[in-house]
Amino acid sequence: MDLAATPSRSKSRPRSSSAKTVAASIESQMDLCTPTKPMPRRKSKSAASPAPMSPATPSTVRRSRRLLETPTKAAPDVPVKATPTPTSRGKRAAPSPRTPALREPTRQRRQPRKRAYYRKVVYDGGEFEVGDDVYVKRREAAESDAEDPDEECRVCFRTGGGVMVECDACLGGFHLRCVRPPLRRVPEGDWACPYCEAERAGNVVERPRPPEGKHIVRTAKEKLLSSDLWAARIESLWREPDGIFWAKVRWYIIPEETAAGRQPHNLRRELYRTNDLADIEMETILRHCSIMCPKDFRDANDGGDDVFYCEYEYDIHWHNFKRLTDIDDEPETKEDPCDEPYNAGDDYNSDTDEDSEYDKEEEPKSGFSARWNHSHELAANSRKGRMYGLQKIGIRKIPEHVRCHQKTELEKAKATLLLATLPKSLPCRDKEMEEISTFVKDAICNDQCLGRCLYIHGVPGTGKTMSVLAVMRRLRSEFDSGTLRPYCFIEINGLKLASPENIYKVVYEQLSGHRVGWKKALHYLTEHFSGGTKIGKQANQPLILLIDELDLLLTRNQSVLYNILDWPTRPNSNLVIIGIANTMDLPEKLLPRISSRMGIQRLCFGPYNYRQLQEIITSRLKGIDAFEEQAIEFASRKVAAMSGDARRALEICRRAAEFADYRVKQSGQAIFSANKGEGVVCMGDIESAIQEVFQAPHIQVMKSCPKFGKVILVAMVHELYKSGLGEVMFDKLASTVISWCHANRELLPGHDTLVKICCKLGESKVILCEEGSKHKLQKLQLNYPSDDVTFALKESPDLPWLSKYL
Amino acid sequence: MAAASVASQAQAVLRGRLCNPGFVHSALRSSPDTNYSKLKYLVASSVSEACNNSVLLLGPRGCGKAAVVDMVLDDLKKEHPDAISVIRLNGMLHSDDNCAMKEIARQLCLEHQLSFSKMASSDDNTEFMIDMLRECGLAHKTILFVLEEFDLFAQGKQRLLYSLLDAMQSLTSQAVVIGVSCRLDADQLLEKRVRSRFSHRKLLFVPSPLDDIQRLVEHLLVLTKDSGLPAQYITDYNSRLTNIFIDNKFKGCLNSLMDADATTSNILRFLFRAVSYMNMESGFLSMECFQKALSSMQRQPKTDSLQDLSILELYILVCMHRLEDKEQSSYNFTSIMKEYRSIQDAYKTSDKYSSTVCFRAFEHLLDRELISFGDNRGRNQALEYRSVKLLISSRELAQSLKLNTTCPAVLQKLLDRERYM
Repeated sequence: MDLAATPSRSKSRPRSSSAKTVAASIESQMDLCTPTKPMPRRKSKSAASPAPMSPATPSTVRRSRRLLETPTKAAPDVPVKATPTPTSRGKRAAPSPRTPALREPTRQRRQPRKRAYYRKVVYDGGEFEVGDDVYVKRREAAESDAEDPDEECRVCFRTGGGVMVECDACLGGFHLRCVRPPLRRVPEGDWACPYCEAERAGNVVERPRPPEGKHIVRTAKEKLLSSDLWAARIESLWREPDGIFWAKVRWYIIPEETAAGRQPHNLRRELYRTNDLADIEMETILRHCSIMCPKDFRDANDGGDDVFYCEYEYDIHWHNFKRLTDIDDEPETKEDPCDEPYNAGDDYNSDTDEDSEYDKEEEPKSGFSARWNHSHELAANSRKGRMYGLQKIGIRKIPEHVRCHQKTELEKAKATLLLATLPKSLPCRDKEMEEISTFVKDAICNDQCLGRCLYIHGVPGTGKTMSVLAVMRRLRSEFDSGTLRPYCFIEINGLKLASPENIYKVVYEQLSGHRVGWKKALHYLTEHFSGGTKIGKQANQPLILLIDELDLLLTRNQSVLYNILDWPTRPNSNLVIIGIANTMDLPEKLLPRISSRMGIQRLCFGPYNYRQLQEIITSRLKGIDAFEEQAIEFASRKVAAMSGDARRALEICRRAAEFADYRVKQSGQAIFSANKGEGVVCMGDIESAIQEVFQAPHIQVMKSCPKFGKVILVAMVHELYKSGLGEVMFDKLASTVISWCHANRELLPGHDTLVKICCKLGESKVILCEEGSKHKLQKLQLNYPSDDVTFALKESPDLPWLSKYL
Repeated sequence: MAAASVASQAQAVLRGRLCNPGFVHSALRSSPDTNYSKLKYLVASSVSEACNNSVLLLGPRGCGKAAVVDMVLDDLKKEHPDAISVIRLNGMLHSDDNCAMKEIARQLCLEHQLSFSKMASSDDNTEFMIDMLRECGLAHKTILFVLEEFDLFAQGKQRLLYSLLDAMQSLTSQAVVIGVSCRLDADQLLEKRVRSRFSHRKLLFVPSPLDDIQRLVEHLLVLTKDSGLPAQYITDYNSRLTNIFIDNKFKGCLNSLMDADATTSNILRFLFRAVSYMNMESGFLSMECFQKALSSMQRQPKTDSLQDLSILELYILVCMHRLEDKEQSSYNFTSIMKEYRSIQDAYKTSDKYSSTVCFRAFEHLLDRELISFGDNRGRNQALEYRSVKLLISSRELAQSLKLNTTCPAVLQKLLDRERYM
């Protein structure tokens, strides 16, 4: 069941503001500590970070720490304005211990008894927000972390002075002019410095040494990659009662520290996100860095030195990897974080061993799960246990083919033609989408939305669901920008419900978050929509209910449909229903009391014509040179003539690309130069793809039948033609076959053999036949037109005499 | 004695080969244009390119569809050891949607070492499957669904296929559905919306032509040096075998076998019989082995059972045949008895039995399914009065009378007279 996208409420799971003292969390970390690579690091850190820092430089530089947002109960949509810090400095100084004098003002402002949570904190000159990525100090480094040097050129060892280019192998920086031969501009694509190139070729090279007396200053990036610094993502920020600022962070890990070690396909700047959380003092946070998902990373060409790449999440308990989803990047808003009473997590201390087995973030809030152990694990497929164990699934080692593989044009084409790929634009459905969006907007903006119901119909593959969802996405972005009232959106697919009545259950669950039986749910929902007790938090918001495959909700007395369609007519129901089905005349087939409630507003999605199909395909294939122009047109014309199903058209093109790819791969990788002409989908590929889709394979099967099978088929055609009836008795057929064989000096088949062959043909539905036990009385029918049999068997090489009977 | 033990050893080797589908189809691996390599390309590319696919394998029974699927899966499991999990469903067992969902959940749990609960509702199982598809997709793991007897899944509302194929429409999932069916029109059985989501890849399996079969037979029967048998024996055995292969009689054998059924499984059955007829004294396969095997393959059970009928039963069959020839479409035991009596009166044979004895013989014929009741109506009627039908043709009857040495001449005359009158 699809989740409802409720834009009015954040969908994010509340971050575990888990009741755990810092000490407890550290202890749990240490308890857990199996002798794996990443663990010692954590241990050393947790020991180091709370340690008092050397009071070396007592505020030679003024430090600023100010709260931007006072801990309020303010709703999350109160905009947080970042006022510029008054004490801005150019260069950051060494993070010296907090000066008591400066802590004073905050204290005066508020004396919190409990922890106070913030979304944004300006600390030490930097502005830190939940969700930011930061460097974290690892130990009290001898080498002062204070200096944050610019990168030096690896040849002349000077900073600044022109554009520098980064080697993709050693990550060293080079001035364009220092490289031999000098470069004019930053090269496109991967570039390796001459030294790395030479090393790769197997030569021993001497890299330029720094001039005497000058030591190489390592940048933060280098320290991170040689595990002298950490990177982390801030999950929450709070202030302890004693005024010290803390942050809960999620660590990033460098490939060397994973169980699999650095894998050959790892990029130099790659990090993994872990599921390991820890509480640290704000002290240890150094400054910002940016860790990007692959797409952003690709776009950020010159993002500076502190840009890292993160595509995978690493599970520290199971030592496996999983791709990050985009869902995590959705804006998260905490629901009133500050005045959440803090229960000192005493009961957590007792059994941290077990519970730390599991991802803390995914722990439900209910307390029982803390006492979790292996003896009575919840089953993964039951409802309560769904979260558990799924993190086991990650892969031990990221397969190489995923990362290193350079995609050919054909493979790119295949990927974009996938049905699953969401196209950037949805061509050809503008009018319909406009209509849907005006309908929904009308319904939302109008306070009294009475009897709102839209029925959308059209053959499969014409983009009905996709258009509605696109409209809803657009509305959501409008809502986010604040031009639209909040609303709820629930999507239900009739075919995915176990029974029609379950729809009540699902709707109720999405509204309230509880699960009840369908009868109870129906009762509550009826009350909800008729203005009685409201369910859920957003009771007054309009609700948009999208029911896909509406015809599946039909029951014998049609009560489910009636109930659902009756709700919008109630005053104050605030309900809008969008129903989608294939048949045009579904409302007419229903009882009049239902059709009068449903059939008022309709929208038809007609099948695509060939121009539209062509446009859809070409818009997907933009920028990929893999298809001949006529090939696309041919495919779209063919599909438009048959069904007008866009899915079908895309599949045909993808299949054709597969054929071409297969051909290229079979012919061998050796011919790389000929790749250009050959690696293009031509008419022949499309033709064979279309044949595969639209043609039943019976002709080939008939051609490859055993000899007697062919004789039987021809004899059937003969007999049926002679008698003019639709079916023939086996007795008759057998005597014909035997007499033919006799006349043409073939071996005579036995009756039982013939029965067997008939049954085999019947099994593959070339002919339709009754069961074999009827023997002589079996009735037989051809399943395909007799012309097909004639066509298939006209010239069979092993039975030349057969054609004279046709 | 030693020869016999070597022979039985060789027999065991040959039988082992015949029963091992991997060995039988191993010739497929080398050539590029077989269904094996096509399917492998299809599945491997969807594993490596992280996309969803669905493919249908069609073809008559015994052409090696399941064997090819198994081979492809084995190979891919070797190539990507961690990244593939296979869910197998069979239409005969799991055509019920809820039960199929449960089975999917069970196998997923088994593959990933999760604990499984029998009590979970089908909604839970569906959600679990969708979650698993997503998680596995994120971890670059592919789930392969092998649906055997695919046509049986295409009954009813096809909820399983719909939710499976619809879950595959998302980018994060990474799954391949392989349907195996012997119905050629299996994809036409799908409902419109399911068919629209099904990506119409079809691979057709057909019986191989004669040359391939000959190569297969050689591949299966010729012993190699590494089979652990004495070298002298192997060379003797192989030279005899090649002599048999070039014999025209052997070719005729193979041809007449393939006239009826050219599927690989039929050939294997034939070879297994031939190997079982191997002469243990000499320890070699001979022409007779193949001929015996062929004749045992071509047995006609109906004609065989006609051979050992008693005279009285033959009388009854002939009477029934006469009745049918008289265009009497519906007749029962009493009318048969009337005919029988009239024959006995006319020819005065020694084979006159009382009605109860005849009825016993009649029941016996019913049991052997040489005759059957004409319709299912009148089930509560007495057996004597229900209408019956003859299940064997006149040709078969005449043949068996001719072959039966104990058959009285008058019976044959009765049948023949009928024909030439």
